Amino acid sequence: MAEILVKNGFVVDPTNKIDGEKMDIAIKDGKIVKKVNERKAKIIDASGLTVMAGGVDIHSHIAGAEVNMGRLIRPEDHYKDAVRKTKLTRSGTGYSIPSTFVTGYRYSTMGYTTVMNGSFAPLKAKHVHEELNDIPLLDKGTYPLLGDWWFVLENLAKGDIEECARHVAWMMQSTKGYAIKVVNPGGLESWGFGHNVHSIDDQVPNFCITPREIVRGLIKVDKMLNLPHTIHLHTNNLGQPGNYKTTLDTMRAIEDLSTDGKPVAHITHIQFASFAGDDWGKFRSGADEISKYINAHNHITLDMGQVIFTDTTTMTADGPFEYTLYTLSGHKWVNSDVETEASGGIIPFTYKKNNAVNAIQWSIGLEIALLVKDPWKIFMTTDHPNGGPFMSYPRVLAWLMSKKAREATLKRCHKKAQKKSLLPSIDRELSLYELAIVTRAGTAKALGMPNKGHLGVGADGDVAIFNINPETTDIAKKYKAVRKAFKESVYTIKDGKIVAKDGEVVDNTTPGRTMWVDVKTKQPCIINEEMKRKFREYWSIEYENYPVSDHYVKVSDKLTVEASV
Amino acid sequence: MTEFKSVVCPICGCLCDDLEITVENNEIVKMKNGCAVCEAKMVYGYKSEERILKPMIRKDGKLVPVTMDEAIHKAAQILVDAKYPLLYGWSSSTNEAQRIGVELAEELGSTLDNCASICHGPSVMATQEIGIPTATLGQIRHRADLIVYWACNPWTSHPRHVERYTAFTEGRFEKSEWKNYMLKLKGETGKKKIEAASKRLGQYSPPPRPQVCMVDAPPKSIQKMGRKMIVVDVRKTKTAEAADYFLQVEPNKDYEIFSALRCLVNDQELDIDKVGGVPVDYLKDVADAMINCEFGAIFFGLGLTQSLGRFRNIEVAIALTRDLNRRTKFVISPMRGHFNVTGANIVFAWQTGYPYAIDFSQGYPQYNPGEFTINDLLRRGDNDATLVISSDPGAHFPKSSMQNMMKHPLITINPDMNAISRLGDVVFPAQWCGIEYSGTAYRMDSVPIPLKKVVEPPPGILNDQELLERILNEVRAIKAQKTEVQTKVKGEVRSAAKTVKKTAKRTKRKVA
Amino acid sequence: MITLTPLRNFDVPVHASCINPDEFKSKTLKEIAELPVTEGNRNLTLSDLFKIEQDKTETPSITLNGDFKKVKRVGQGMKTGEIIINGNAGMHTGERMAGGKIVINGNADSWTGSEMKAGTIEIHGDAGDYLASPYRGSGTGVKGGYIIVDGSVGNEVGCYLKGGVIKIKGNAGIFLGYHMTDGAIYVEKQCSSRTGAAMTGGKIILAGTVTELMPSFTIDSIKPKVKVDATQSVAGPFYVFLGDLADHGTGKLFVSKTNNPQLAFYEKYL
Ligand code: SF4
Ligand SMILES: [Zn+2]
Repeated sequence: MAEILVKNGFVVDPTNKIDGEKMDIAIKDGKIVKKVNERKAKIIDASGLTVMAGGVDIHSHIAGAEVNMGRLIRPEDHYKDAVRKTKLTRSGTGYSIPSTFVTGYRYSTMGYTTVMNGSFAPLKAKHVHEELNDIPLLDKGTYPLLGDWWFVLENLAKGDIEECARHVAWMMQSTKGYAIKVVNPGGLESWGFGHNVHSIDDQVPNFCITPREIVRGLIKVDKMLNLPHTIHLHTNNLGQPGNYKTTLDTMRAIEDLSTDGKPVAHITHIQFASFAGDDWGKFRSGADEISKYINAHNHITLDMGQVIFTDTTTMTADGPFEYTLYTLSGHKWVNSDVETEASGGIIPFTYKKNNAVNAIQWSIGLEIALLVKDPWKIFMTTDHPNGGPFMSYPRVLAWLMSKKAREATLKRCHKKAQKKSLLPSIDRELSLYELAIVTRAGTAKALGMPNKGHLGVGADGDVAIFNINPETTDIAKKYKAVRKAFKESVYTIKDGKIVAKDGEVVDNTTPGRTMWVDVKTKQPCIINEEMKRKFREYWSIEYENYPVSDHYVKVSDKLTVEASV
Repeated sequence: MTEFKSVVCPICGCLCDDLEITVENNEIVKMKNGCAVCEAKMVYGYKSEERILKPMIRKDGKLVPVTMDEAIHKAAQILVDAKYPLLYGWSSSTNEAQRIGVELAEELGSTLDNCASICHGPSVMATQEIGIPTATLGQIRHRADLIVYWACNPWTSHPRHVERYTAFTEGRFEKSEWKNYMLKLKGETGKKKIEAASKRLGQYSPPPRPQVCMVDAPPKSIQKMGRKMIVVDVRKTKTAEAADYFLQVEPNKDYEIFSALRCLVNDQELDIDKVGGVPVDYLKDVADAMINCEFGAIFFGLGLTQSLGRFRNIEVAIALTRDLNRRTKFVISPMRGHFNVTGANIVFAWQTGYPYAIDFSQGYPQYNPGEFTINDLLRRGDNDATLVISSDPGAHFPKSSMQNMMKHPLITINPDMNAISRLGDVVFPAQWCGIEYSGTAYRMDSVPIPLKKVVEPPPGILNDQELLERILNEVRAIKAQKTEVQTKVKGEVRSAAKTVKKTAKRTKRKVA
Repeated sequence: MITLTPLRNFDVPVHASCINPDEFKSKTLKEIAELPVTEGNRNLTLSDLFKIEQDKTETPSITLNGDFKKVKRVGQGMKTGEIIINGNAGMHTGERMAGGKIVINGNADSWTGSEMKAGTIEIHGDAGDYLASPYRGSGTGVKGGYIIVDGSVGNEVGCYLKGGVIKIKGNAGIFLGYHMTDGAIYVEKQCSSRTGAAMTGGKIILAGTVTELMPSFTIDSIKPKVKVDATQSVAGPFYVFLGDLADHGTGKLFVSKTNNPQLAFYEKYL
């Protein structure tokens, strides 16, 4: 494999505490190495440019049954964004939910090399993997929804955490998943009969368990199994006014589970979980309360779930939440319950500046990201496509690094939002170093990926080079230029190959790997005839046809972990 | 002798995956758990004498066997030469083959359509207009206490649907209605026996059959707790006989009836007292049953998608379901026919954004049912070559449409000599998907299920995926050659032009 | 004025969104000749398929002579100028049009005037399905403009209509004015069933006979006459229905009383 030497760039690598030093980065056999043979290597002259590790997205809905249903129901959304076939690349369609190939290309040309798919229902695991195979140029992983799975609810209600852990381990292997995803714990099961839970201590109908017990139980399971990532949590009451209290309750309920000062849960798209006010009329930001708590504690990481003013498609496993959205918007509504496991919903949605609630939502996401002092605790996402499509990341980065950019947008927002926003009182502007944390170093760390998000020797040969000269540009003032730079990387290198250059794919031969966790429990989950019968009772397919075989993973990247049970 | 367990039945959208199959000498000799339709294909049908064993090309009006290479080259040549080919079928192929199909269509700049076009395409379109509240079949099995079959007859089209997923299953929260049904059936047969006996004795004359459609009033039982089943259709079917209530409606009046039900569910009064032949009072009872259930499920079939109004019928059915969710929990689901027509929609959607009716002529996917759907393309005679894979569209189209198809070259890929293969100019043999080769299919509720291979295919026959890959490669090779020739020709022209200029100059000089 | 005449019969569809006054405006004849079109999947130029002539007349800006049935998207998105088609027009003619005028001296195929915002389309023959109706999955209907059809129209005409006026001198198919929220549709002759289904606003005027009325409409009154737009009002009497009740709609459906005696039973609710 070709060797590459990136010369003279300003390297921003927070994991290795490198902040804009002029350095060379050498890549060989798909990995970062100390040095390469300069005469043989392809030299990239990066002088005047910023060099970072490839971007790592911690939460983005790019594949699977729910995502594809979103694609399927929105021809009018694709119509305005058709993508032509070229000599190298496949055709497709974009806007809010791009087709699989286009997803790969667009992420790659923005300097991303790893994207984690936000959720999938285990019963439809094969589907998510079939789609991941068709997303080129990226390493991928995906999180199975386990918070309302009957085996989990029953074992936790019985208090049998170890048995629960063995089942989760089985599920992780069988669905080739990466982390435990919990969505509106207890709420999805309740939605089976059209109900919901409204606090972390509500009883889940028919199961004698509460959301608090589910979350605590699964955190313990996560630890027993030594999974690389914490549980990935979408809290109760998401998207409801006043829900910041539920979010605080949830965070408090798991404080004691962190023993070594390490995080035990990642709360995703925190913006949607930080609403204050008793109803939509009195809607306001709960960012202050949430960020204060986060600043004082170390057991939680967050991602933003930033809202963009655009036409997009919301989709989550939180069926009852999507129904609420439907009653608010009246748009086309998809609900998709999955037996014994999960639910799901989809609503097209347009976030508007002149809508007070939308504009306040926009403000909340940024407020939290700026008020949380430690960038290793909160990462940049839009919960693609829920807050807006991932193609808008550069806009979010601009708001984070420039007060001027925030002001420019805020002044066009609804008056009420302008009055209520905390943004005018926040002067913080993220540096390039901090931006690298919230887009790659921090996410890689939270995901437990030691070879990603940085440029140290041994890391994956994933590099992004941007047209930003930190010596000559004040990024806060020149935010428009920097925004443009993040939109189209000068180079994206994946596994030691130049895959994109100046916003165009130049090599489409890298399919990317699918990362999944193979958990070795001391005592495996016992699958006997009795168990198979139970399977048949719970699901409508046979046990033998449930697991995702190797056939479904084009390039498998298995991470084997030893569990303590 | 080999036994296979948990084999998936590759026939209807139920995709039952609990078959037990015995194979002897590379032949299926026994099948357990499947329905009669399944047995007919799995044990007997796939061994048909009509099986195509060799690729064929039409020469002088007759199909003659050729080598695989020759057939592939010929097919690729036809597709490259055509200005606007159509690739159609896909519902009985695996996802793996469908993926290649999209790539081939894109490479060719052709139109691409699947069988949804003639069955549940309208359901997909309705979903695009209004969304759909739905659930996997297991969810319905566990929870539904009201099951409505609307304009479909699973008893014959999806024989195990009722026993595996709905009324006659044991769920976590709902019990099977099988016993009640048996009792009812016994009662009925008893009555029939007495009727027959009395007829023989000459004492009994059966009541005259009513000429006009007479709708029965809904029985009290549809308001009861526990499972109940309602069938709505234009004629009494086997499924209807098993139902607690059969609501007979006039043909082509479904839209009106759904609208009336929506009004009732939304607390509106109606000016009229009969809709589609049904007294509004009966509809009120049905609306009550729907509102009062714990979890309702509507299944609908081609009777809705293919009758007057087409996708708007589904749209209004979904609107009713959606409205009902304000009052209780309700879901709706199409009874997809072919075992992997759902998969075709799904695969096309993830690769292009669109589920069927796709056109690549502009270099990017365009979508528009009515414009790029097979029946409309054929009616207008837009295409100048057709490839049909794993389907037999002949029967579904008017003669003029078929004539339009026959004006141009036709390539077919099917395991046996069905009607469309007989008409082909290049006829490929194929393996039986889910019997002779494995892959993935999506059940009617979009649950992916792995198909199994249980016997070896006849020698020399490729599976759909391999065949399409080879056609695709051949297409690329021919196109590459073409551009090479073109650039060469252009180059020659240019150099020729140069020489002409040069000589011209020279002559000028001479003249000077 | 530019005149285009097909050089031959087209057997596969031609995609020619470049036939548009705004496109032609500042171009030389040579540049126009080189505008891209496709015939099926073949990339060609305008002059490969059409004879192109130019003369000094100002209006119309473009004249199309011959059968354009297979030519799609003529006048798509046009803002100014005028196109006259002496022959049949293909699908999506005048789609998303924002101004100017298209005259079709022949029949118009489906999706004519789809999602248009302003301008005028005159069709002197019949029109197909989805006249003035939006693209699949979209609820954004015609926002304004004026469409007049001398002949009959197909099904699902004026879906999601939000503004503008459609006048039909012949018959109309099913689902006329489906889900419309505003604007006006006027049909002189016979109208098929499911008219105004799911409508929540605007008005539909049926001066001829109607096959069947949706059950989800309620009678409101009888009016002696009704105004179609600023320039035209029609003499009645008309039954006035409100609906669609299933969508809590308050759209108005005017149905000729004289031509529809079968609806007399509604009078008892007045
Ligand atoms: S119901 Fe359908 S899938 Fe099931 S066995 Fe019968 S034909 Fe096969
Ligand atoms: Zn998410």
